Amino acid sequence: MIIAEGLHKSFTKPGASNKEDKVVAVNNVSFSARDGEVTGLLGPNGAGKSTTLRMLATLIKPDAGNATIDGHHVVDDVFTVRNQLGFMPHNAGIYPRLTARENITYYARLCGLNKKATTRRLDELIEQLEMQGFIDRRALGYSQGQKTKVALARALVHQPQTIMLDEPTNGLDVMATRGLREIIRELAKQGHCILFSSHIMQEVAALCDHIAIISDGTIAIADSLEGIHRRTGESDLEDAFVRAIGEQP
Amino acid sequence: MKAFTVMIKEIIDNLRDRQTVFYALLFGPVLLPLLIGGSIVASLKQLSIDFDVVTTVAVENRSSAPQLMEFLYSNNVDVVDAPDNPEQAVRRGDVDVVLKVMPAFGDNLRAGQPAPLTLFVNEADKESGKQARKIRALLSVYERTLNNLRMQHRGMDPNIFNTLDITQQDVSQDGAGGQLLASLLPFLLIVSMVMGGFYLAIDTTAGERERQSLEPLLTLPLRRRDLVLGKFGATFCFVLLSGLLTAISVFLLFKLFPTDLLGSNMRFDGITITKAFLLASPLLVFISAVLIAVSAFTRSTKEAQTYLGLLMVIPMAPFFALQFITIRNAVYSMPFPMLSQYQLLERVVLGDAIPALFIVLSVVGTLASAGLLLWLAFGLYSKDRILM
Repeated sequence: MIIAEGLHKSFTKPGASNKEDKVVAVNNVSFSARDGEVTGLLGPNGAGKSTTLRMLATLIKPDAGNATIDGHHVVDDVFTVRNQLGFMPHNAGIYPRLTARENITYYARLCGLNKKATTRRLDELIEQLEMQGFIDRRALGYSQGQKTKVALARALVHQPQTIMLDEPTNGLDVMATRGLREIIRELAKQGHCILFSSHIMQEVAALCDHIAIISDGTIAIADSLEGIHRRTGESDLEDAFVRAIGEQP
Repeated sequence: MKAFTVMIKEIIDNLRDRQTVFYALLFGPVLLPLLIGGSIVASLKQLSIDFDVVTTVAVENRSSAPQLMEFLYSNNVDVVDAPDNPEQAVRRGDVDVVLKVMPAFGDNLRAGQPAPLTLFVNEADKESGKQARKIRALLSVYERTLNNLRMQHRGMDPNIFNTLDITQQDVSQDGAGGQLLASLLPFLLIVSMVMGGFYLAIDTTAGERERQSLEPLLTLPLRRRDLVLGKFGATFCFVLLSGLLTAISVFLLFKLFPTDLLGSNMRFDGITITKAFLLASPLLVFISAVLIAVSAFTRSTKEAQTYLGLLMVIPMAPFFALQFITIRNAVYSMPFPMLSQYQLLERVVLGDAIPALFIVLSVVGTLASAGLLLWLAFGLYSKDRILM
């Protein structure tokens, strides 16, 4: 369960001489994501999706506001949060000179799994994500789909309750996207809390139980798909999105 | 423990990178000593003239100066006939030098006048220049002998023109070339230590940011300090490996050095090299810390290479500076990393005594600087900026 309340983050403008010369990335973001559901963070590029996820994933500290993961504060209780959190960034970020197995093992060991537990967990993940074909090959020549699988396996290696995926379908072809969607649905069914960011309407519409639309660093609307249709009076998510962020359809 | 996991991963990862391995195992330990050591040996050999070796000199009109030819022969110089056009021959490099006995030589000598000789030399050619210096040296001995004979012949004491009796005593234990050779060891050792860890440090910090693999790593239950320590540890291993291999290769290189070219007190035996390596060992920590701190500060591998490339001047600076500057009271320079090791290692090679205070100051100063740099790197990794 993720609860974000009034998150705020601003950064010093790159190259600014005055440190007070700031750009607001996220302003008063509040929403929640429940266990057993896929929650979509939908917004255009630069809306503040990644910054919000980074704050929730303990990567950066919010300037103001609160966020908890399963009741643990993301600033004060960093290690408990990290132990229960699997995070996949918007580019896989895997090590090209290591094999998939080595990439995943590295994360497993850093999460505190011993040798035996690592091997057992790896076998499960190879099976679950169908990585048999490339698990012992170095990652340099991987397709985008293979890279995403390795990155997802790394995020899942310590069996976290909460899983955050930052634009996971970027660069994936149709079949790989469908495959990933299946995996995400399965994880939600197992009771995980899944937060998923995307700028692709169809993606979110097809997958998410709950949607938070973010625009200009603020949550414009957060509800179920039906709720958003009802509240905006639009039957199409794209039109609802345009209306929600305050543009004329 | 987690720092150890990071270290092992970075070592395995970088052992698969050709560039890192080349610079750690080949550039510093093999190429650099061969290039620099080799060229110094070559130039020393060219500078030093060996009067015991029999050489051949082309002389034109040798029949006009039979006694001079006799003198040259008795001084290990075989005289042969000069080619037809001596100027061309020397310029082309057919012969190193040509000594031309001018037609007036015999008459002038008999008349007590200066007897003309012309020496054709090509100063652009090192061999020719060296040969010319040898011939000039022999000729001036011959000239002195003739002077003495002329004066005695006229009933004068030859010493009447020796108004000064100058004795120069070189009190340095090594001679001028020695200092250069002695500073070669710290130079090679330090440069290859830096090069050994250079690419690994960049790859594990700036490279990790560039590949965007840092972001997911930082969401793991892992203290950022452990992460930095792991990367530092991996860099340290490569710096150590490169330093050790270089010490071995310098030892082997100086085994090949002709001993008469080294100063009488210079030593490059196993014990000396071991001592030198131990004295330089605090630098392993310092150099690793510099590499990690600087490349942690940069955003991309290219930026890191630029900054560290500029920093490469620092390990070389004492080498060049110490060729010009003499630091009389070394105690003030001992707390400075690099500078102190340069001086300590030179002393070891020259067999000078090293006060214990120097060693303490050098070790403490170097390790304290390394600690400061590591603390800086910890600070950089705890900021939001590391992810931007």
